[in-house]
Amino acid sequence: MNADMASGAILASFLLLLLAFTSVGLFFAVGMIRRLRHERDQLMHQEEVIFGFIHDVADVFAYSDHIDLDRMLDRVLFYASRTTHASSAAIFLYEKEDQAFHARAISGLFPPLQGQVEASLSRAVSKSQAIHDLVRSQVIHQGEGLIGEAADFGSAILIEDAERDARVPQYELDFLHIRSILLVPMRFMQKTMGVMAVVNRIDAKPFSQTDLNLLQALADQASVSIHYAGLRDTLDEKKRIDHDLTVARQIQTALLPRSIPAFEGIELAAFNDPAQEVGGDYYDFIQIDDHHLGMAIADVSGKGIVGAIMMSISRSVLRAQAETSLSPSEVLKGVNRIMFEDISEDMFVSMLYMVLDTRTRELVVARAGHERPAWCQAQDRSFTIIDSRGLALGIADQDSFDLAINETRVHLEPGDVVIAYTDGVTEAMNAQAEEWGVERLLETVYPSAPHGANAVLNGVREKLARFVGSVEQYDDMTLLALRILS
Amino acid sequence: MRECLIKREERDDLDIVRLDGALDSYSFPRLETALNELRDSQRHQVVLDCGGLDYISSAALGALIGFARRSREAGGDLKLVKLSPKIFNIVELLGFHKILEIHTSVEDAVNKFNA
Repeated sequence: MNADMASGAILASFLLLLLAFTSVGLFFAVGMIRRLRHERDQLMHQEEVIFGFIHDVADVFAYSDHIDLDRMLDRVLFYASRTTHASSAAIFLYEKEDQAFHARAISGLFPPLQGQVEASLSRAVSKSQAIHDLVRSQVIHQGEGLIGEAADFGSAILIEDAERDARVPQYELDFLHIRSILLVPMRFMQKTMGVMAVVNRIDAKPFSQTDLNLLQALADQASVSIHYAGLRDTLDEKKRIDHDLTVARQIQTALLPRSIPAFEGIELAAFNDPAQEVGGDYYDFIQIDDHHLGMAIADVSGKGIVGAIMMSISRSVLRAQAETSLSPSEVLKGVNRIMFEDISEDMFVSMLYMVLDTRTRELVVARAGHERPAWCQAQDRSFTIIDSRGLALGIADQDSFDLAINETRVHLEPGDVVIAYTDGVTEAMNAQAEEWGVERLLETVYPSAPHGANAVLNGVREKLARFVGSVEQYDDMTLLALRILS
Repeated sequence: MRECLIKREERDDLDIVRLDGALDSYSFPRLETALNELRDSQRHQVVLDCGGLDYISSAALGALIGFARRSREAGGDLKLVKLSPKIFNIVELLGFHKILEIHTSVEDAVNKFNA
């Protein structure tokens, strides 16, 4: 009997212990699942935003040929609000007549950004209509307030916590309250034509850097359309074709970086020589964080407007993806995943994407079907072609692409030069139908490498110009050079 | 650039399309028409003989991949043969040798279809 009781007690305590362990384990497991689920949701959300954005951009452009400016702007605002989850948005355009900015399109209850308005509002019957009319009637002079600031400096303003920022007007009325605000300039060909602003995310979170990037990309596209909206109607068919090529060219030019980011200890240079027929090359420098620089060079297979739109989509997608990882092959996988779904099966983009750690001078290279970059080492004056496996973007499904691509790491030393180029450079032809070729390119880079990244570029341009002579080139020529300072 | 001549030869269930010249955005539509005709008559097994091809634009390459994919969906394929080293380099640089099936001779491709 005693023995039975004892064994019963042991069994009971064993069961209790087991229960305790299982509960602790279960507790941690539930926590972990919850965390993983949260991470998955965040990733899915991010992807959804970018995916939606691409469709939106394509949509805005698809119809911009035959709709008027106001309808186009309304559409842009609709997508701007949807992409950034803003509760209200507005586009302010610069008018030549009075040299000031006016709200040309408004979506939602956009609060006036020039303060002191509540007295007049308290008498209004329909408050929302009164606010709309007020914002519409305000004249914002150059350099005045947030709009003037964004336009003058030509750069975006992101205010996460607007309540603590003296530049943002604060209102007693709840529906005018500004918690977070984001403004981006609308520029085209060195000219600021307006500012797009979004106010308060509907989920009460502040606007983020991702919102800023997407809104700026949308503003860049809209700027092109605004610029041409007035001209379009007067063009006949013949002119329209020439004009389309010009638009494509200008979209391309507008997409190239306006300035090259400055990093201590490195020197960067780039050029893009467009051909008669729009080729669809572009390059980009992306400052990922304080000591990581992303460098991209790409060639789109389509020509004309379609190629230019493809290029702008690739650029937006790459910029959004570049933030998510320091591994260039991972970034390109992300770009392909989005583009494969979205682009016509007959089109593709070859892209080289490299990430440089400016502290350690480690360069990681991934190649989506693009020309391999060349690395000129200062120490022994030797050339290495940096090779890695990969496939052009937009042509293979996720599994095939992910399997095909890898990345290569090299350690750069002071004085080293890395050049990346598009096939327009090496396939440039002279009157005898000879191609310039990689050999000649490398022979040109070699002597100018010690004199800096710009010297390398100038050397290539000179030699190339002498080689082709007066023969018209059919493909764009793009080259970028990176040099580690001694 | 040279014009692109396109010759078609029927061999049982498959077709051999021979190219001679340069395939760019101006000459590609002719090949496109030829390939579309094959598809419309339910002939999805095509060998593209590139022995005489001295140039191919990237847009034309993209379109060939589109054709290959659609042929595969219909149970056939578009196989490339006799690529010059220069054209093979372009195909390899873009990674398309992983997507398109490439053979050194027409017979190899024909045997592959019949295997």
